[in-house]
Amino acid sequence: MCPVLGHLDDMEHRIQALYEQFGGPLLRHVRKTTGNDLQWAEDVVQETMVRAWRHSDRLQWEPGLVWAWLLTVARRIVIDGRRRRSARPREVEPPEADTVPVPDGCDRALSAIVVADALRSLSQEHREVIEQTYLRDRTISEAAEILGIPPGTVKSRLYYGIRALRGLLRDKGVAG
Amino acid sequence: MHPEVAAYVLGVLDDADLQAFERHLDSCERCQSELKELQDVPDLLDDLKLQPSASEDDDPPISMSR
Repeated sequence: MCPVLGHLDDMEHRIQALYEQFGGPLLRHVRKTTGNDLQWAEDVVQETMVRAWRHSDRLQWEPGLVWAWLLTVARRIVIDGRRRRSARPREVEPPEADTVPVPDGCDRALSAIVVADALRSLSQEHREVIEQTYLRDRTISEAAEILGIPPGTVKSRLYYGIRALRGLLRDKGVAG
Repeated sequence: MHPEVAAYVLGVLDDADLQAFERHLDSCERCQSELKELQDVPDLLDDLKLQPSASEDDDPPISMSR
């Protein structure tokens, strides 16, 4: 067999094996962040699998770490997609920690109340870097410019803020 | 302690930092362990960030009128 075709064949097999191992759970997880857009979620899973194949040395990690890495890769792909989709100028009110979503009886709305409450309990420095990065799909350097602080400070505050938030959410029984 | 791990988990590192951090992650057990530990947080923030019944393609944040 031609070596190039043989290589492609091998790549296809290995990506197929990755799908069998991780595809289902990853798709279920990603769908929650694509507003149930199944096509988009499937594209995200496919891109994640291709990246996993390109860095297949990381697949030798222990399973919990591999899973955490795949979730992180997929999350970034979703965020990049959302940034592209909303590239046109628009101003929507982002979530603020001092407002609370209307409960609609579903778990997610209840969880949102708990998370909003926990965010409110953080120091302003910690809360604002979380709001200016993750909650608005902004990168570190974009948030640094808006906040007028160095990117390294944003990274550091984000680290302590996220650790503090996780501690609060654990106390409330919603984080592992 | 390597604070970039939080930005990495949240998916908000700038592209150049992202590549560099993933290379660092390959050899830093502390960051590997924090990558697992912090995994819940962005998922929980998504409950606040994403409207459950979002039907528009631009995925507006959850409406928060009291």
